[in-house]
Amino acid sequence: MTFDLSSFLLQLFSGLSRGMMLFLLSSGLSLIFGVMNILNFAHATLWLFGGYLTYTFIQLFAKAFGSTVLAILPAIVVATGLMFFLGVALERFIVRRMYARELPEQLLLTFALILIFGDLIKLIWGVENRRIFLPIEPLEILGSFINPYFFVIIGSGAGIAAGLWWFLHRTRYGKIVRAAVFSRDMVSALGIRIPFIYAGVYGLGIAIAAFSAGVFLPIMPIGLGVDNDLIIQCFAVVVIGGFGSILGTFVASLIVGIVYSFSILIWPDGALAIIFLILVCVLIWRPWGLFGTEMRY
Amino acid sequence: MTEKEMALQNGAAVKRLSRFGFSEKITLGLGLVLLLLPLLPGKYVVVVGAEIIILGLFAMSFNLLYGYMGEISFGHAAFYGLGAYTTALLMRYFQATGGEVGYVQFFFSVLMALPVTAVGSLVVGFFCVRLSGIYFAMLSLAFGELLFYIVFSWYSFTKGDDGIQGLLPPPFFQDVTHYYYFSLGVVAVATAVLWWITSSPFGYTLRMLRENKNRAAFLGINVRNCMLVNFILAGAFAGLAGALWGPFQRSVSPHLLGSMNSGTAVFMTLMGGAKYFCGPVLGSIIYTALNGYITLYTVYWPLTIGLIILLFVLFLPGGVLSVVDQWLRAARSSRLSSTGRALPSGRKSSGGA
Repeated sequence: MTFDLSSFLLQLFSGLSRGMMLFLLSSGLSLIFGVMNILNFAHATLWLFGGYLTYTFIQLFAKAFGSTVLAILPAIVVATGLMFFLGVALERFIVRRMYARELPEQLLLTFALILIFGDLIKLIWGVENRRIFLPIEPLEILGSFINPYFFVIIGSGAGIAAGLWWFLHRTRYGKIVRAAVFSRDMVSALGIRIPFIYAGVYGLGIAIAAFSAGVFLPIMPIGLGVDNDLIIQCFAVVVIGGFGSILGTFVASLIVGIVYSFSILIWPDGALAIIFLILVCVLIWRPWGLFGTEMRY
Repeated sequence: MTEKEMALQNGAAVKRLSRFGFSEKITLGLGLVLLLLPLLPGKYVVVVGAEIIILGLFAMSFNLLYGYMGEISFGHAAFYGLGAYTTALLMRYFQATGGEVGYVQFFFSVLMALPVTAVGSLVVGFFCVRLSGIYFAMLSLAFGELLFYIVFSWYSFTKGDDGIQGLLPPPFFQDVTHYYYFSLGVVAVATAVLWWITSSPFGYTLRMLRENKNRAAFLGINVRNCMLVNFILAGAFAGLAGALWGPFQRSVSPHLLGSMNSGTAVFMTLMGGAKYFCGPVLGSIIYTALNGYITLYTVYWPLTIGLIILLFVLFLPGGVLSVVDQWLRAARSSRLSSTGRALPSGRKSSGGA
């Protein structure tokens, strides 16, 4: 294995885009945990469900528009919107009942959701992997051939990160959400409807996940079982970054994504072992994560 | 209902694990059912029964951490898998040297899982007991996944994703009914030891740690040491369960150490009732039997099981035993009041349980 500039760039870009996907998934996870204290183990399965949904809409729109490229954006928008409402419905009818329960019972519930949605995918879309092929010529940069779609992914990931930051820090609803992370009781005492905020946050988390699944469809085939590995890595990201910290989640996603894509070069089978080694070290050194605060348990 | 009974139902006393009587009766009842299970027609019920027994021990070892000590481990399957691989690798070694695994060698392979997993859980536990709550859970998850990926990628030693196949136990135990009773015997001894541990002063110390670690520390208890000892015990019993699994399935694979398998222990414990000694075994009966029989009827068994778990968790909080216990309690108190044995003042009544 040679470490020349071109392979370095290739790994860097694939690591960055992987980091972006981890960020989009983990930010929803982190937000849901921060606001509602629910560890949503079903997050990656809903991500996968969103991916399949986007795939179906791409197929539908591609027939209508006569082009796959044109179909992608509207398909992602529609699927993301639908997944938002699915998230709201899940929160209203099922997840809401679990707020008073202990962590393991919430885990049991989200595990049931994993089984149900995993099997619904099998029921609706079958067991074959799905992938969208785009006619894209690789771009030559400093002697290495890089898929320009990486830039789309990195751009949209950074865009969502910025948008989330803007939403949380500059809008009224975002400020209410941050206040709810800090003290739920106080927020509801101020006359703000907490159930409404909860449903919105859950829907938002699921919608961001569905969006990332749609954006990644052209470079990453999706299939059953992808979600199991992914959810554990997302927990690694959230813990390394610190629970409830969006900035921490962003930094940790990039660290995990880049470390993963470079360790694949060195030790292909053990790339994930290295991620978990980092996680173990962070938990021993700073259990509350790189950017988290010690107070929250 | 008297005041004291109200207090018993509402307060922390409800959380007591070994209420003399109920837990013991259920444990003996389950033991009897499992003892007579092979009398049912067909071999399949015995196969499912052996899974129930082995996974039941696994879940009970998990409950030592969760139900008694109040910490959740999401990486408990690591020790289960470690035990399974210890036995599998030893059996593989004996097969390579002697052609077939003899009885002494077989028992040795199974028992060696205990010290190996004890050492493994000592190392992991040393770090985990420094944390609590969700951080304990996450660190155990991280260690579990780390071990999983080490086993997964260390091909020369563990055969990686292929796993180890052809783990034939000695001839007598190759019959599934014989293996069933062998497992039942091992698990019965382990259960007796677990009962002894949980009803010893050490067991009550663990309950105190669950309720309030700071207060326990003020009373002069070395909190970390106690947690570490319990972590090692839980790991060793999980390892023993894993050791029984390999020769039963004739193979081991890295997924025994995976997070989904850790989840299985959590689910079984919660479905049965974490607050009761034998809750995990009942959970294992429910979960494993569902798995074993629903797969026979539909390919969409995850959907079916998912819906059943959803109903369980929504409508049976605290697990099956907790709901049964509450029914019995309500029935007893209404019977007492109808026969006029309960004192109306409530002050002098000795209460239920």
